[in-house]
Amino acid sequence: METISNLLTLSQKREEQLSRAVEKIYSAAQPGAVYSEPVTAGNYTVITASEIAAGGGFGSGLGFGSAPTPPEQQGETSGREAQPTNGGGGGVGGGGGSSGRPVAIIIIGPDGVTVKPVVDVTKIALAGVTVWGTMLMLLRRMRKASKR
Amino acid sequence: MQEHGSISHANQGMAKGVDMRGSNDLVQWQKASVRSVVVHDLTLTPQSQVLTVRFPWGAFIWHRPTAVQVEQNGRVEMLPIVDLTRLIQLGLVGLGVVVITVISFVQLARRKEKVS
Repeated sequence: METISNLLTLSQKREEQLSRAVEKIYSAAQPGAVYSEPVTAGNYTVITASEIAAGGGFGSGLGFGSAPTPPEQQGETSGREAQPTNGGGGGVGGGGGSSGRPVAIIIIGPDGVTVKPVVDVTKIALAGVTVWGTMLMLLRRMRKASKR
Repeated sequence: MQEHGSISHANQGMAKGVDMRGSNDLVQWQKASVRSVVVHDLTLTPQSQVLTVRFPWGAFIWHRPTAVQVEQNGRVEMLPIVDLTRLIQLGLVGLGVVVITVISFVQLARRKEKVS
């Protein structure tokens, strides 16, 4: 009985710790998270604007039970009172991740304010290759289907 | 009036003007304004959007910048922040879908012609 309560309190503690860790994900939602501090060089001041995505989760499980007494042992214990063998176990796990990428640069200069977009060529190239590959694959399948 | 090249925060501390859309316990779609920054004689107020999905066992957050409000001599101008990378990616995917749809329609029409 004591073991069960110990396991339960331990599991609750771990779950609280993980829930606190997940709360840290919410720091990505703070308004200042996407804009950097202004950096000044000469007459120009630059602020970077980034996109942020963060996610995480956790889970836990507990189980208790009594082990069935094997038939060969039943005869041995028949004289005395049978002692039930109780046992239990539990586990807690979690995971998370975050990503960010610059979207634009805000430049404040003598001519005024300009917003310059940041283009991620690698991402675009990857998207292009994926789309092109999918199109080729679908076209091949369509041709094969039309030949039949 | 600020000195040239100097930066100061007009609103110290917390974010201002938080507008919640579609707000409930599970999904939150918020618009937020970051504290204003004063550079030269310009007051800049960056704005952003936050999507928060809460689960009992975790959370997901997507935060993106949307625009910068520029105020100069009482004149307010809104400069949108365009995510060009995402636009091009979506454009490529859209183009692929359109091309596939057109080709499949053409092939379907040819098959019907052959049958008739």
